[in-house]
Amino acid sequence: MASRSSVLARPPAFRGIGRSILLTLPMALWSLLMFMPSFQHAGRDRHISALLVILFMTTLFFLMMRTGETYRWRRIFFVAMGFLFPFGFIAALVAERGTMSIPISRMVSGDTPFCFMVTPSLLLPAAFARTIIFPGSILPTASNPHSIAAMIGVWFAMTLILGKAWCSYACFFGGIEEGFAAFPKRRRLHRFITRFGAYLRLIPWAILVFVVLVSAAIFEPVYCMWLCPFKAVTEFPAVRNVETAIQMGIFVALFAGLVVVLPLLTKKRTQCGFFCPFGAFQSLFNKINLFEIRFNREKCVDCTLCQTSCPTMALSKESIREGKTLLNCMKCGACVDVCKKDAAVWHLKGTAVAVKPERARLLFLYGAWALATMMGGSILANSVATMVHWLPWK
Amino acid sequence: MRSRILPILAYTGAGLMLLVTVCVPFVLFQVFTNGVAHAGLHIDAVYSGGTVARTIQRDGYRILVYQPVQPRLLERIEPFVQIVFEPADALPAHVSDEIDLDGDGHPDVRVSFNLSADPNAPLRGDVTALNATYISLTNVGGESFSRMFVRTGNKIVVRVPMKKDAVSR
Amino acid sequence: MAALSLSASAGEALVLGLATGPVCLATCGPVVVPWMLVQPQGVRGHSRQLFLFLAARLAGYLVFACAVWLVGSAIPHALPHALPHASTGRSWLMGGIQLLLAAALVVYAAGWPHRRCAAAKTAGALVQIGETSFPKRSGALALGFLTGINLCPPFLVAGVRAAQLAHLSAALLFFVCFFAGTAIWFFPFLSLGFLKRTPEVVTVARMVALLLACWYGFSGISILIERTFHG
Repeated sequence: MASRSSVLARPPAFRGIGRSILLTLPMALWSLLMFMPSFQHAGRDRHISALLVILFMTTLFFLMMRTGETYRWRRIFFVAMGFLFPFGFIAALVAERGTMSIPISRMVSGDTPFCFMVTPSLLLPAAFARTIIFPGSILPTASNPHSIAAMIGVWFAMTLILGKAWCSYACFFGGIEEGFAAFPKRRRLHRFITRFGAYLRLIPWAILVFVVLVSAAIFEPVYCMWLCPFKAVTEFPAVRNVETAIQMGIFVALFAGLVVVLPLLTKKRTQCGFFCPFGAFQSLFNKINLFEIRFNREKCVDCTLCQTSCPTMALSKESIREGKTLLNCMKCGACVDVCKKDAAVWHLKGTAVAVKPERARLLFLYGAWALATMMGGSILANSVATMVHWLPWK
Repeated sequence: MRSRILPILAYTGAGLMLLVTVCVPFVLFQVFTNGVAHAGLHIDAVYSGGTVARTIQRDGYRILVYQPVQPRLLERIEPFVQIVFEPADALPAHVSDEIDLDGDGHPDVRVSFNLSADPNAPLRGDVTALNATYISLTNVGGESFSRMFVRTGNKIVVRVPMKKDAVSR
Repeated sequence: MAALSLSASAGEALVLGLATGPVCLATCGPVVVPWMLVQPQGVRGHSRQLFLFLAARLAGYLVFACAVWLVGSAIPHALPHALPHASTGRSWLMGGIQLLLAAALVVYAAGWPHRRCAAAKTAGALVQIGETSFPKRSGALALGFLTGINLCPPFLVAGVRAAQLAHLSAALLFFVCFFAGTAIWFFPFLSLGFLKRTPEVVTVARMVALLLACWYGFSGISILIERTFHG
């Protein structure tokens, strides 16, 4: 995780204002295009929220262009999404049914909104038995627009472009722990993380294989039913017996431990880096993604500032020596921004390393930020509209 | 040669990625959604209740009897049969119906429940097994996927558990 | 006539095994995949291990075949009717088998005993990153036998059918053919032999095996508790 002092030590201006505005214009236009329907059809709450989100996303992108930094501006968006998504989601649930718990009737009627994190568990039963082991509906309905086909469709499209950068630009849960990780000034448990980091970052892979195999064996989405920490801040099966009470206990314990306490102690995204099987699954798509972060060995002085700053331990001494990150790099840009020697650079596969890295960064950011505006921006707009709706002085 | 072609391919690929990005909300999202929708997939019968086996017409409403749902080897549910009464707003205040579930002409269960005018009121009901294959239920609501009386929209969904046998899905 | 009847039974058993093979794959897969990934790389080595696994599985099948045939011959015509009431006993057995499976996974996947100098162990580490350690005993026989006697419904159907045959040898042949039908589905696991055994792969496989041990342990205990309190 980049410390405040190391980030502020860089020169404040990387690019002139004029050029920064020029580079931001396409993103501003894209944002307007994405939120045009809100201005055409929806009410005043939606107009205000859309305008705020357009300004928010455009400003952050401008700052990325102006300062040449990615991580801290992306983090502002990501943390905002991480905290506002549950807020808007829970508000909608409470307004609709007065509780966060999913009654079994909704699971039976196919009204459970689909979450992308269950995707790996679905693959084997879908491939071998053409069965979706999730209580949703395949096509969108009036009561459930977040259908399985729609959510898988958007996930697939975004993953083709982002790879594991999904975890930095699209995941609407990762921002929660990134926010908690940003609070403390000092990291604790640093020795533990350093010593056991090599094992800890393999745990998501083990959980992924376990979840895929057992879900196929028992035809149940094991991760959703037993291991998802974010059930604690979205919705969960209603507690109606001992088993569901145990499940709820696990959800709350995992959320408190992995998403709140450990990020506060370690300044790392501990759930993402050391637990999330979906993150491991997304890592596979880094193999085919065009963008990556590389290290110029001629400039690198092995200060390991990048390794310390990485939120998910995606860097090891061996990988830096080889000039690259590990497979679980989520392209957040922390290591690039913190490197004082400009050794860590954005890279487009197939081109020379450290030759025009800013071009690679721009090509990546245009795609990533466009998708972030499309999906994350609409999440922000929904939540902001809910807040505006509740304003007492309206 | 390779050192000249690779960067060209790389930038071409990056450009295509940007094009794909622009197409996502307008074209690709719908294409992928349709692709998944037409992949011949279905929701697991534990959640959907399976397929309808027969329809029984009553006065003003109908009863849909589904195919029995048997658990797979390690699935942790009892086998059950789903019965759906629809439309719920056409049902009398008290329903007591003897239903033939296996299509042999003899009633297998008697389903009884009281319907409140408030669609959000919790629903509970009883099932009396007239056939040893099925298990009776008393004052059941949404207990589990194999034992339930619930209202979903304008339907009443009842699931009657069956005794376990040797045949699985 | 007897030969025709025997070949008809054998054919029936083979078809039953082929048809239920995917069920075996789904239920044995969680055991086989991490266990095989803990073995050294190489298709030849994997073939040997898979052969041992399947042989032990066959032994389990034959033990069961003997048992059901003896019961069936002692109480003729009773077994099909007794089957619905056998679910209680089957649950006790399944609960026990799952606990044994959990214990076996812990022992063999965690690598006790393993051919590595004890002094090289780091405190609390399952395996050193930087060296690859394989278990001394592969666990093929234990895991194969335990999965072989796991009483799945197709297995019970085969059991009922075998119990109705005139001779013990016919029952054994029935189960050999049933086994052959299911065993064919296991050959794709040999492809795991091609996967490079980096220390990370082996570590992940051990972690998976431990997670599965927890799962089987939880499942076995749940079954036993349910049987204890609900009968």
